[in-house]
Amino acid sequence: MTSHLGVMILLAACLAVVFGVLLRDEGADQGRLSVRIFVALVGGAYLLGWIMSFAFG
Amino acid sequence: MAQPRRAAKSEPTSPERAREAGRLSPAAAVVVAWLVPGAAHLLLGQARKALVFFVVLLAMFGIGLGFGGRLFPFQLSDPLVFLAAAAEWALGLPRVVAAFLDAGQGNVVSPTYEYGNTFLIAAGLLNTLIVLDARDLALGRARR
Repeated sequence: MTSHLGVMILLAACLAVVFGVLLRDEGADQGRLSVRIFVALVGGAYLLGWIMSFAFG
Repeated sequence: MAQPRRAAKSEPTSPERAREAGRLSPAAAVVVAWLVPGAAHLLLGQARKALVFFVVLLAMFGIGLGFGGRLFPFQLSDPLVFLAAAAEWALGLPRVVAAFLDAGQGNVVSPTYEYGNTFLIAAGLLNTLIVLDARDLALGRARR
């Protein structure tokens, strides 16, 4: 897997799981926070990508 | 008198429960957590967290090496290399083992070289947070 998007999703998933488990104690809360962090990371990267594409593309 | 039942999946959250679960001094927790990701949480009674930390951090380390990332040496002449080395050494034993196995030479011409470095450095930095969390647990500090 050498695509930027694929690797970014993989890294975001790893970070989201660790932060979710680290910052919450209950299983359901951990899952919710992990999903939120994952969406924020991937969504933020997409958003920044589009902004940079319009600004500098 | 009936004893209150402990939920099967609950983790120690209060200082009392953390102390109850832990038989580890804060200094020992820091050393153990640094050496093996998740090990201090396991000894402090948080097995599920320990498993997640161990699996994810080792996976990140393995992916980083698989992508051709480099295990940086401590090089004072280049501050960024020095910081990258410090971050990677934060992973403890896996970093030591990789050094002994001569892994992580870094393949700069590989398209995934920088990805690999990112995974290796991020794994070390995450372990730093896990070490701090283990210390707080051993001290019986509540997180929030």
